[in-house]
Amino acid sequence: MREITFAEALGEAILEEMQKDPTIFTYGEDIAKQGGIFGAYKSLLGKFPDRIFDTPISEEAIYGSALGAALVGMRPIVEFHFADFLFTGIQSITLQIEKIRYMTGGQGKLHLLLRGPDGISNSAAAQHSESIETIFMHTPGIKVIVPSTPYDIKGLIKTALREDDPVICFEHKMLYKIKGPVPEEDYTIPFGIADIKREGNEVTVVTISRMVHESLKAAEELKKEGISVEVIDLRTLVPWDKKTVIESVKKTNHLVVAHETWKRAGWGAEIASVVQEEAFDYLDAPIIRIGAKNVPMPFAPNLQNFVTPDYKDVIEAVKQILR
Amino acid sequence: MYEIKMPKFGLTMDSGFIEQWFKKEGDPVKEGEPLLEVSSEKITNEVISPVSGILLKILAPEKEEVKVGTVIALIGKEGEKFAEFLEKEEPKRLDVTTEKEEIYATKVTSLEGERRIKASPLARKIAQEKNLDLSRIKGTGPEGRIEKQDILNFLSLASQEEEFQIEKLSGLRRTIIERLSKSFHNTITLTNITEVDFTEFKKIIKEQKVSITSGLIFVLARVLKELNKFNAHFDSEKMEYRLFKNINIGIAVDTERGLIVPVIREVDKLNLKTIHDQLKGLVEKARKGTISESDIKGSTFTITNLGMIRTDFFTPLLNPPEVAILGVGRILKKPCVMEDDKIAIREMGYLSLSYDHRVIDGADAACFLDKIAQYIEKPEFQ
Repeated sequence: MREITFAEALGEAILEEMQKDPTIFTYGEDIAKQGGIFGAYKSLLGKFPDRIFDTPISEEAIYGSALGAALVGMRPIVEFHFADFLFTGIQSITLQIEKIRYMTGGQGKLHLLLRGPDGISNSAAAQHSESIETIFMHTPGIKVIVPSTPYDIKGLIKTALREDDPVICFEHKMLYKIKGPVPEEDYTIPFGIADIKREGNEVTVVTISRMVHESLKAAEELKKEGISVEVIDLRTLVPWDKKTVIESVKKTNHLVVAHETWKRAGWGAEIASVVQEEAFDYLDAPIIRIGAKNVPMPFAPNLQNFVTPDYKDVIEAVKQILR
Repeated sequence: MYEIKMPKFGLTMDSGFIEQWFKKEGDPVKEGEPLLEVSSEKITNEVISPVSGILLKILAPEKEEVKVGTVIALIGKEGEKFAEFLEKEEPKRLDVTTEKEEIYATKVTSLEGERRIKASPLARKIAQEKNLDLSRIKGTGPEGRIEKQDILNFLSLASQEEEFQIEKLSGLRRTIIERLSKSFHNTITLTNITEVDFTEFKKIIKEQKVSITSGLIFVLARVLKELNKFNAHFDSEKMEYRLFKNINIGIAVDTERGLIVPVIREVDKLNLKTIHDQLKGLVEKARKGTISESDIKGSTFTITNLGMIRTDFFTPLLNPPEVAILGVGRILKKPCVMEDDKIAIREMGYLSLSYDHRVIDGADAACFLDKIAQYIEKPEFQ
């Protein structure tokens, strides 16, 4: 199968759906002319100039206009530039986009996709490095997808563009350039179906996004020591695939949840909590959560490394849980 | 308040020697802290305090041997009164067999709620399914938590244990063990063996309708009368060699409960028929378990016959303080070269004489066997 980058897969998904659905259009900061600050739209440069365009820097205006467009039957795709900046227009999302279907008694569909980069990059510091998917998992009314591979992002974005509910998609900055096999024919990936990226039988690691790759690296290292790790990529957090996780825990009896976002009240706590509620009798050790230290992301590379979890933290957690 | 009991560290441990106490009376102790050091057989172990509190009282001092399960200390709250408890519980301390071996701390009164055993949810579930008592399982996880693997290890050990069954030894077996060990270790036993022609002997036995053993007892009495040094006891502590006037023969009898040796007294004064009847009565009593203490005491010589269960010859162990024992083997028809160099079918059997070589020389033994052989080969039962 051909291999393309994460960004190319994203671009293909958008382009293919735009060709089929004339209501789809996409806008945001620095996408049409620049192709996205991390190159997410590079493959879309010059395509559909009237349906892919740049906006001024005003998050309230961007999200608010998308809400209006969606309400009248359009299917806007909004690029949020940096996940950190979602807070700038948060009320449009949490008060309006997430609630409007409920407030209209389900009369108003809201096919709206918010998407953009999150996570660390090379010293982007405290205001450009955040992963805030937990916020949207916590507030009801929006679906949350967090793909980790080119194959997954294409399939998930296509599903998002056929949804009647608002969807937010977080794309890790460090994933845009990774390559992976993507079929040329049309396919979609349903929400709420996790992908077991690696099978194992001693410890289950539940993760998403960049930490999928760190966890796979850790699993490979641990294999050399004879430890068998199962890596589950949830792919979507709302809804999340409880069934697959619990089945895996019933098999391995050990659960580690790994994410780049802060450990404190990060979404891993939700997974851990549900597992102990529903699979308590299958746990042979306390669940371990891996997440960033609870501080704003430092600029200094060594401090960024110190604060952010990576494969070494996964190795340590797996060994600790099997102690 | 908690009783701390002498723990059992091994299957065979029934008492422990207190090497040292790490804490004094009145010292605070924390759960998991070493409390004392105990040695048993070849190993030394630290006893860990199962609870936190104040070491109120040490009941077993250092350098003292204490039975497993005995209360050796009390742990409770500061100033908690225990005198009353000591008075009340004192007699119970001797009763060790009813105690569960593995648990060495028993709560006396509620101090801080049930002590919770740390176990993972999965371990608990498996234990419940398999009906296991978690207090019997040692946890190897963090903070001693019992995990799945600990349960599986316990189960695999337990399944090995299932392959044998522990049978508590009866008092009789214990006596046998004690006596045989003494016999084996405290005497110098040698055995002389000779083959004897029982053909004529058996003819008469058959005629008289008595058992071979009865006949042999009759013959023995004659020989013992002549060779008095075999009808004796030897007390090596007092260096006394006691030669008996009465000939009291013990007969080794195999019973369901073990070996019993009833005694026929003053055999030299009895005729063959009486010996036979007395023996029959004693064997019956021994096998039924109705034999009395006086029936099994005072033997001066013992005979043991394995001939009926296919043994040709063997080396009997002495029945101390006796100095000799006669073993009888199977009597079998064999081709024999007779005095006239003709071959005849004869009923042959081996006699084994074990004797304490400290007081009886080899030549005496040979002489004894020769005499008895003569009586058997040319029998007279008058």
